Amino acid sequence: MDVNTKALKKNAFRVTKERGKTASRVRVPGGHMDACYLSMIQDIAEKYGNGTVHITNRQGFEIPGIDYADMPKVNEMLQPIIEGLDINQTDPGTGYPASGTRNVSACIGNRVCPYACYDTTAFAKRIEKAIFPNDLHFKIALTGCPNDCAKVRMHDFGIMGMTLPRLDPSRCVNCGACVKYCRRKSVEALETVNYRPKRNEEKCIGCGECVLNCPASAWTRDEKKYYRLTLLGRTGKRNPRLGEDFIKWVDEDSIIKIILNTYKYVEHYIDRSAPGGKEHIGYIVDRTGFEEFKKWALEGVELPEIAEVTTPVYWKGVHYTK
Amino acid sequence: MIKNEYIPFRSEIKEVIRHTAIEYTFRMEYTGDVKPGQFFEVSIPKYGEAPISVSGIGDGCIDLTIRRVGKVTNEVFEQYEGDTLLLRGPYGNGFDLENYKDKELVIVAGGTGVSPVRGVIDYFARNPGAAKSVTVIAGFKTPDDILFRRDLKLWEENLNLILTVDSREGDKSYREGLVTAYIPDLEFGNMDDACAIVVGPPAMMRFSTMALMDRGLKEEQIWISQERKMCCGLGKCGHCKINDVYVCLDGPVFNFTKGRQLLD
Amino acid sequence: MGYCYKTQDLQQVFSALTETYDLYAPRLFPNKGAFSDTDLVRYDRITSPEEIVLDRKSRFSPKEVLLPISQTLFYFTEDKVTEPNPPKKDAVIFLRSCDLHAIRRLDYMYLENGPEDSYYRQLRDHVKFALLGCSSCFDSCFCVDMGTNKNTDYDFSLDLTGDTWKIDVKWQEQEELFRKYAVSQETVSPAFVTETKTRVHIPENLTAKAAKSSVWKEYDSRCINCGRCNFSCPTCTCFTMQDLFYTDNGKVGERRRVWASCMVDGYTDVAGGGSYRKTNGERMRFKVMHKALDFKQRAGYQMCVGCGRCDDVCPEYISFSHCLNRLSDAMKEVEDL
Repeated sequence: MDVNTKALKKNAFRVTKERGKTASRVRVPGGHMDACYLSMIQDIAEKYGNGTVHITNRQGFEIPGIDYADMPKVNEMLQPIIEGLDINQTDPGTGYPASGTRNVSACIGNRVCPYACYDTTAFAKRIEKAIFPNDLHFKIALTGCPNDCAKVRMHDFGIMGMTLPRLDPSRCVNCGACVKYCRRKSVEALETVNYRPKRNEEKCIGCGECVLNCPASAWTRDEKKYYRLTLLGRTGKRNPRLGEDFIKWVDEDSIIKIILNTYKYVEHYIDRSAPGGKEHIGYIVDRTGFEEFKKWALEGVELPEIAEVTTPVYWKGVHYTK
Repeated sequence: MIKNEYIPFRSEIKEVIRHTAIEYTFRMEYTGDVKPGQFFEVSIPKYGEAPISVSGIGDGCIDLTIRRVGKVTNEVFEQYEGDTLLLRGPYGNGFDLENYKDKELVIVAGGTGVSPVRGVIDYFARNPGAAKSVTVIAGFKTPDDILFRRDLKLWEENLNLILTVDSREGDKSYREGLVTAYIPDLEFGNMDDACAIVVGPPAMMRFSTMALMDRGLKEEQIWISQERKMCCGLGKCGHCKINDVYVCLDGPVFNFTKGRQLLD
Repeated sequence: MGYCYKTQDLQQVFSALTETYDLYAPRLFPNKGAFSDTDLVRYDRITSPEEIVLDRKSRFSPKEVLLPISQTLFYFTEDKVTEPNPPKKDAVIFLRSCDLHAIRRLDYMYLENGPEDSYYRQLRDHVKFALLGCSSCFDSCFCVDMGTNKNTDYDFSLDLTGDTWKIDVKWQEQEELFRKYAVSQETVSPAFVTETKTRVHIPENLTAKAAKSSVWKEYDSRCINCGRCNFSCPTCTCFTMQDLFYTDNGKVGERRRVWASCMVDGYTDVAGGGSYRKTNGERMRFKVMHKALDFKQRAGYQMCVGCGRCDDVCPEYISFSHCLNRLSDAMKEVEDL
């Protein structure tokens, strides 16, 4: 049997432990899709796979037990899914054009969850359209609010929804709900001064508890959507660590620009001799220094006025090599 | 143009009498009809408006007994002599003295509950013979909490005063025990002439009225005064409502035939 | 007299009215809902008929026009008390039948229960009412059972049928204005509903004894005492005073009143430190009994107008109408007490 493993991996198949069998990896950007694609995945699994499907950590499906020879037929069957999920593709009918950049995953977001500050899936798809296909190993995740159910701090780019709360004092009845919930569920950024809540802007994390709990709609959300962008969290063997705060109160356009800039930075600095030509961004930044990364990342980015950039960023985590 | 009931008037503080660490009587300049048990909305600087019962009525003045609350300090209270406070009122029905004249009257009062009945006590202390007999059972937590010490001599001389504290803290000169303990021993000449006023914390009122009824007093022979939060005194703000009554308009004094339903 | 208009014709009427009146109607506030990317409908000034939201119920009632959420009563200095100026313009409030019935309840509290409230009187005397017809009800409405589905006590009515606005005018001083821009004349009577999905029955034999029932107990844990029910209610009228001090000695400042809720902590707190109705079940009982019985005993008619907003806004899905329907069982339970 002669199979080009480099090519099949790029095509979103996998070399499995079972000789002669591969697995097809289906991505769902933003983790939310029409239910009709489930039966298509089922059809592939039952026709070419071993009848099972694995639900992946990154909100995808992996269909194992496929003969290498069947890859073209599987790619044909994947076509309606790829099209339906609006995945950028170069040659229709040939499956996924790249697999380096991982599925952009997201919590359920404001399509369902009351806490979410935005539509996580929609933003995930927007990022997907901007960055895919790409062979570089990037992990991006989005979460609706600072609860971080999506564990975005384990990613290269963690995007956390923030609400900028606006108070209409003429609607405030001083019931104390915002102050109480901020104290008990969040960061104690509110105190009552002269019968009205006073917001400590430095402390506020934009979770939106004040808005959610205001019975008089005195607190509402600012029209603009803001995010916290965390950087270069990772799992792995040498130095697993949580992503650290990079920019608080950043906007969508800036985030996309920063991610695209980072691809350029990685293209420039990646160690091509690394095993498989793969090097995680974080280790590259460890090598070049944060300031060099920042210079590339913020190139041409016009941050909103209220954005707060943390610099330099220091990471902690577990060091197994020291 | 209709009258704005919320606009207060300025009244001079003629004297400030300190009773306890936190309780003071302000003797305020006031001329006009007022009855014991009625209340004024008093603007306390740095605190806000609060309903305060009239704790005494004199010539051209009224007494308002105020408990220091919140961030207000003693200095703020004590420096006020000669200054003014904003008042509006009087509000509420108050006690009708006619109900108690020529009767065997028992007044059971606990803590700050003494304030609204002090005017009644004072009237009968100054007019011995206006009632067949008057017994005042006044209870406080500790000797330090006793209010109106200046009056006690006059009351003792002219009425049957039973002053008791929940805990005398070693000071043997006070009786110790709850006000209810003295109700079983009350002596009545003619139960038809018996009547009672009960004012104090909710539990104390509940047990005292029960004890009085055990002694044979009928509901219509008992009056109570209710303390509630009142932001307006005008039947608007809603805080003082109990069942279908507004304490500020229909009370705070209730004959127990009505008052009995109001213990919520 | 009844008149018909296309939107652009009615706009002429609105434009003329706004010269002397502030027009208040349920208006859409995009993205101002509590959850992200949701809208809020509440009362605010409008200038065109298209701004009036007809297909959704406003979260808050029109009462905030007559009873501002936060209202300055006066400013005080060491020797002077000054009232703020009243609004420059009179107002026209666009509202549904239930909400117009609710105004009658506000009138009772602020004009009849005790002395007249001058602030309310001031605003009330300068308001006209435009009845919004109801061609259908919302899921939580129960106006028919409360007898508030019809109302003829309006200055003019407003119904949108297809793309035609129909108006019945009773407001004589403005009759000429309405006539001037009308496309046609016909007899108009505002639409009203005759049945609702939600049904409510308040037992005739309801007495204060129902307070002793066990039905209130479950609300101890279900209710979170947030007060949304009160703040959205068109008939709740409670307020609390707030003094704002501009100087350290507390002698210069302003006094205002703000809406209060009998469900929220602090409502019954007295200066001495005591409070009443500490449990949420007791508060629910107080509110329900007030709406279903106590008010009626004083005023002679039911307080609740069946708008259903309290059911719509409760984050814990506690239904006031469902609770009213439990009162019959509550009375049976306490029958022998």
